[in-house]
Amino acid sequence: MITGTGITKIFKQRGGVLGAREVPALRGVDFSIAKGGAVSFIGESGSGKTTLGRIVAGLESHDGGEIVIDGVPMSSLSHRRRQPYFRRVQLIHQDPYSALNPTRTIHQTLEAPLRLRARQTGRPRSWVDGRAAELLAMVGIDPGYVLPRYPHQLSGGMRQRVVIARALTMDPEVLVADEAVSMIDVSLRLGILALLKDLRERLGVGVLFITHDIATARYIGGDGELYVLYRGQVVERGATEKIIADPVHPYTQSLLSAIPVLHGLERPGAERVVPREMQREGEPDGGCLFARRCPFSTERCEHEMPVLGRDGGPGEEAGEEAGQEYACFHPRRRSVIPVGVGE
Amino acid sequence: MTADTTAHDIEAPGVRIRDLTVVYKTPAGELPAVRGVDLALAPGTITGVVGESGSGKSTLALSLLNAVQPPGRIAAGSVEIDGLGDVLTLRGEDLRRARGRQVGYVFQAAQNSLNPLKTIGKQLLDLGRSHDVEDLRGLVRDAKDLLARMGMDGARVLDSYQHELSGGMRQRVGIMLALVLNAKVVVLDEPTTALDMITQATILRIIREVHEERALTTLVITHDVGAVAEVADSLAVMYGGRVVEHGPVTEVLGDARHPYTQGLIRAIPRLSGDLSLARALPGRPPTLGTLPTQGCVFRERCERRMDVCETDEPMSVNRDGRTVACHAADRHLTLVKRKELV
Repeated sequence: MITGTGITKIFKQRGGVLGAREVPALRGVDFSIAKGGAVSFIGESGSGKTTLGRIVAGLESHDGGEIVIDGVPMSSLSHRRRQPYFRRVQLIHQDPYSALNPTRTIHQTLEAPLRLRARQTGRPRSWVDGRAAELLAMVGIDPGYVLPRYPHQLSGGMRQRVVIARALTMDPEVLVADEAVSMIDVSLRLGILALLKDLRERLGVGVLFITHDIATARYIGGDGELYVLYRGQVVERGATEKIIADPVHPYTQSLLSAIPVLHGLERPGAERVVPREMQREGEPDGGCLFARRCPFSTERCEHEMPVLGRDGGPGEEAGEEAGQEYACFHPRRRSVIPVGVGE
Repeated sequence: MTADTTAHDIEAPGVRIRDLTVVYKTPAGELPAVRGVDLALAPGTITGVVGESGSGKSTLALSLLNAVQPPGRIAAGSVEIDGLGDVLTLRGEDLRRARGRQVGYVFQAAQNSLNPLKTIGKQLLDLGRSHDVEDLRGLVRDAKDLLARMGMDGARVLDSYQHELSGGMRQRVGIMLALVLNAKVVVLDEPTTALDMITQATILRIIREVHEERALTTLVITHDVGAVAEVADSLAVMYGGRVVEHGPVTEVLGDARHPYTQGLIRAIPRLSGDLSLARALPGRPPTLGTLPTQGCVFRERCERRMDVCETDEPMSVNRDGRTVACHAADRHLTLVKRKELV
């Protein structure tokens, strides 16, 4: 179990006439990932989603808030004592082409972390080879074929499976998958997503899934939770299927409206939302972060910042059951996602 | 397609690709990345070409500029563009002039195809000079108009270096550079890859609008079926260097006939619909080296393969404005026809 409370991160930009400018990447984000659970963070570039993944994996510091792993607050530990905890969180990179060392065979790539693992758990050296084959079989590739090969001899889908197998060498509790399928061929994407779902069920590994493509979040498990990030703030949160079917925040609605409609199979949702403007860099804070682009913003939105909750919502029980929360003064359900032609 | 041609009196040209074969030199000999492709782009329409890595889609797009680089070589076929002739016979200066003037090209990752050391305006002037544009002021004016049309401050953008622009802005600059010389045929290679969802939707809308306003014939190359579905009139599906299916986009998506198209559509993560029906295609896309030399290129991943697929390559069959290259799809239709006769 990993929880984060009030996670903030500020990047300092150098340069500019007035000297260093501070850019908040995360503005007090709360989340928790249970054993075998699936939590998805959705957002555009600049939303802070990648930064959050790196903080959870222990690769990036944060400026405020607390990460708690298995009941132990990380801020109470020295950097060295923290390491064993963060080792239980493994990151799967977006690009399977650059994530593997091109000069090492897959066998060598898996051997090094497995030796470390053998030492940690008091297992004999002989355990290593068997475990490497076992892990590759677990991610759905033939160990006999893959082990002696170099990364360039494998397809993108296979490489991503090797990257996942390498992450599993440490017996992690949580996998952080940052855009893990965006560089994989379309016909193979569902295979990787199904694998992540399968690992959740078989090994009880939690998955923190980070993506800009909401549709893929459905496929790592219907029981998952979805967080929509905008400029470092969680603007909507709840059960994945619920948020996709019944989004309440205009930003979530904009994201869902932007997903292309497969004409011939689907027709567009009746109330698609298009932001008034495109995102600009260095926008001032104050008021709702989405107000300037929001087609429904009012004067209140310009001056006051809404907090995540259920205030002023449609007040429907089903939404509350699903724990749906939003940071908006004018929440309203809109049907924005495509509808099947046959339905 | 009704297009507003008031400002641009030239009609949209048609493009006919015939029996195009492009080979790449490898240690194993010359292997075809594109083989025997026939594809007609109707004047004034947007054609989407969708395919996975190694399908030959980018090679096909480069052929429209006769720009396939060694070790690649266009081995056979023709690319006829109205008002220009067969692009594949053009050489030297004629070819250089045609690129940009008649055929505009927005490169894959336009983000990275701009010169980081020069402002956008300087690059625009370079483009104008290399095409002997006399009225450079007019060119700048046209560029500003185009940029404003796409929702940007033209003067500011022309004064900017590429690193000062966001990904979506660079993509629009790429589109401007492809259109500013008044090219009537425009090729966009992966125009929305690596863009955010909302930016992608905006760019797709802009492509559609500019296409209609300027009466273009447009080719969009992508791996993303969704992006093509949103913008194209007709859809060609490529696999292993062949066009395996081609037709109006709503028909190809709504009633796919080739098993690869059917499998690809089933494999797209979607917002609605039954999750249990979605699944990945078995196997993986072929590379140049693993392409079978005889029979159907898709047979190893196909659930409807038959004996004939091992030996004979299926021919493209045209029926009701749709083209399909598949023994099984063909047989299915023939069976249906026979039943009707009885």
